[in-house]
Amino acid sequence: MSLTRRHMMTSALTLGTMHAFPGLSHAQARQLVFATFTGSWEEAHKDVLVPAFRKANNNAEIALDPLLSVDQIAKVKASLANPPIDVMLHDPGPALQAIDQGLVENFPVAASAHYKDLIADAQVETGPAPFFQVVGITYNPEKIKTPPTSWADIWKPEFKGRVGITNLNSTLGTGWLVEIARLRGGSEANVDAGFKAIEELKPNLAAVAANPGALATLYQQGQIDIGPGNFNAIQILKARGVPVEFVAPKEGAIAFKTTIHIVKNTPNKELAVKLIDAALSPEVQGKLMESPYLIVPTNTKVKMAGEIAKVLAKDHDEMKKKFVFQDWKKINEQRASWIEKFNRDIKL
Amino acid sequence: MAVSNSPATANYDLKLALPLAAFFFVFFLAPLTILLFVSLHTDPSMKAMGFTQYIKFLGDPFSLGVLANTLWIGVEVTALCLLLGLPLAWVYVRVAGWMQAVLMIIILMPLLTSVVVRTFAWIVILGRQGIVNNALLTLGFADQPLRLLYTEGGLIVALAQVQMPLMVLPLITALSRMDPNLMDASMALGAGHWRTFRKVVLPLTLPGIIAGCLLTYAAAITAFITQTLVGGGQMLFMPMYIYQQSSTLSNWPFAAAISIIFLAAVIAAVSLFNVLGRLSKGYAHA
Repeated sequence: MSLTRRHMMTSALTLGTMHAFPGLSHAQARQLVFATFTGSWEEAHKDVLVPAFRKANNNAEIALDPLLSVDQIAKVKASLANPPIDVMLHDPGPALQAIDQGLVENFPVAASAHYKDLIADAQVETGPAPFFQVVGITYNPEKIKTPPTSWADIWKPEFKGRVGITNLNSTLGTGWLVEIARLRGGSEANVDAGFKAIEELKPNLAAVAANPGALATLYQQGQIDIGPGNFNAIQILKARGVPVEFVAPKEGAIAFKTTIHIVKNTPNKELAVKLIDAALSPEVQGKLMESPYLIVPTNTKVKMAGEIAKVLAKDHDEMKKKFVFQDWKKINEQRASWIEKFNRDIKL
Repeated sequence: MAVSNSPATANYDLKLALPLAAFFFVFFLAPLTILLFVSLHTDPSMKAMGFTQYIKFLGDPFSLGVLANTLWIGVEVTALCLLLGLPLAWVYVRVAGWMQAVLMIIILMPLLTSVVVRTFAWIVILGRQGIVNNALLTLGFADQPLRLLYTEGGLIVALAQVQMPLMVLPLITALSRMDPNLMDASMALGAGHWRTFRKVVLPLTLPGIIAGCLLTYAAAITAFITQTLVGGGQMLFMPMYIYQQSSTLSNWPFAAAISIIFLAAVIAAVSLFNVLGRLSKGYAHA
């Protein structure tokens, strides 16, 4: 018998290894991999973007790899010469980190059918923005009968012990700090006024949540009744029957560009470009704008409708006026020291 | 102990541990070495080597405060677990068989549900409209809801419940190994309840107490999920500090240095428990 136990063991181990690390055997020829965000984003992309992309590209194979921005960066960085992801999705902070670390390739603007139709703020060559995330005031309409209209309302004495915010780990927390600093004469380069404002907010503060997800659950528990919140996160809560409403404050709602990027050294560059173009198309964006996704479109050919037209903006002109965009390049420069200051100074 | 008969068995027995050793080497020792290597860089882009990350942490009262708070919350949780767990284990050993089965299910229940679920239950219990606040308001003990969620007290209670099985199970083992006649003998010889407990029960169960404390302590200080969800975003403990530096700020060298320092501190605490354990053996046999 030539088939000894040892041989069996060796082949079993080899097969096992190949199975555990499929990248070893066929590194080049693989399907397109799109790293979307986890949760509702994944659902939205699976239901709308993927079918649209496949229909337009001969049923090309595509896999979704739902990951947080930081995990996407770590995964690509670990194997830059032969990345396991072809297309990444990022919030503004991580997007700049990915660009700085040389992980993305510029989007071939000339080859795109839809890039030119995006509103100016969404046209970014390193990676265009297929949608916006919007931060405004969230409140519980069962407890707060007069809807708030301004960020300043959160400081009203009647909301003593009822306000919830997040710390600066999240895009939401950092963006909000910059915005309240701006309203008090600060800017992306100087948020001292914002820290002073949070200091003054302390009597009202019931909770500083560790992340936006934890903040959302606090509305459900009645722990907090008002605070800054992400439009899409609030819509999900609302759909589940939690009494929450979203208003865009009169100073303007904070808007984050979520950008989509081609990963450097991707073996599937052509398809990656096609996928991004599909994400920018008015068909896909129009569908994603509808319930239950309610994702804010960036393509000017999409006519605003439904909940988004009602609470955010009727059209892209109004959007330009009502949305506040922030300079995350400047924010990233000092974010570490702000987080440190927040760690030290904000004690309830 | 094992030392006396080890030469005869060690030769082939050790080989059985090789697969596990290889597993540990690849998935624990190697990553740990990489972690140590990363921590020895001076800047987030990891170009120059040096000890600046360690100097930064150890020279910063705030960071040391975070470390001290984390180690201290572990002590508080462990003490509470012991205080509540010892009577429970005591009752378990003493009741009838069917009652033991019921108690065991209750004790094990926390282990059978996910930490996230258990922690969310505590958010419901401690919230402004939660069970505790509703009871206090209805019974007239408070005029308005107390702030329980996102406070240190709330966190300690939640962590103690979440980690309780780790304390109670070793205690049950230790208590059930003890011969109940010893207590009767002690009482018959004129010792009171307290003296019997202190001189007989405590020394004999000390190994179990120490094992339970060790497990509870290690689990409590590293409980990222419970610390984050019940403690909130402004109460900073080491796991969150590491997450913040690595994930939000991409400052891997500093995050790695914090991890190594935390690991060293935990090893120191565990060694202290082990020394106590060794002393207790002497105490038990004296």
